[in-house]
Amino acid sequence: MAHPVLSHTPIAIEPLLELDAHPDCGGLALFVGTVRDHHEGRGVTHLAYTAHEPLAEKVIREVEDATRRRYNVPYVRIVHRLGDLAIGDTAIACVVRAAHRAEAFEACRHAVDAVKHTAPIWKEEFYADGSSAFVEGCCIRDDLDGATPHAHGHPSHASHG
Amino acid sequence: MTAITFELYANLARLAGAREVRLDAGTGIVTVADAVALLARAKPELAASLDRCACVAGDTIVRRADAMPADGRLALLPPVAGG
Repeated sequence: MAHPVLSHTPIAIEPLLELDAHPDCGGLALFVGTVRDHHEGRGVTHLAYTAHEPLAEKVIREVEDATRRRYNVPYVRIVHRLGDLAIGDTAIACVVRAAHRAEAFEACRHAVDAVKHTAPIWKEEFYADGSSAFVEGCCIRDDLDGATPHAHGHPSHASHG
Repeated sequence: MTAITFELYANLARLAGAREVRLDAGTGIVTVADAVALLARAKPELAASLDRCACVAGDTIVRRADAMPADGRLALLPPVAGG
């Protein structure tokens, strides 16, 4: 069975690193996205991530494969958390093993950005005043106004990440 | 196709107050675009949000010009914000 890319329980980082494998690799890049206590000036108390799980799984696996090919690196692993998260919890982890650090860093950044922009996952933020809102995201419709697949139409990069 | 089941996600589900909406299709619903227009008429509170939704059958994004999937199920995915 293929490794899980979505997790309803806390993400354990250590097993994703595969430190006992990949003797051809001299670089390991790790990005861990954690839940932050503010967004655009508002206090955030917790988050909920939901997904269209069948497509999100497929998209994340495609991002892993595409990143391996594009950067010619042997190992890319991504896990995204779903469900209710507290401040400081891990939302996403991405590990890249590569021969050298440059492609490890670049591939890791590319993979995380690609997941944020294309995987059908939604973040609902809960604020200190008791209200909540879904964070403005990226449209993944690929036939809007004759746009090319994944035209990058969202209003603010500052609004996510 | 006698009925269409729309699966709603994120703010769409919140706006509709439901995770699923089931509508009688009647005649004339051939494409995904036809089905989305039917939903917009039945649920005006969703209409303004539908243009920026991707439509998904199973685990595949379908286009508005595509034929409706045979099982009559369509997932509507608003703009995404993972990570």
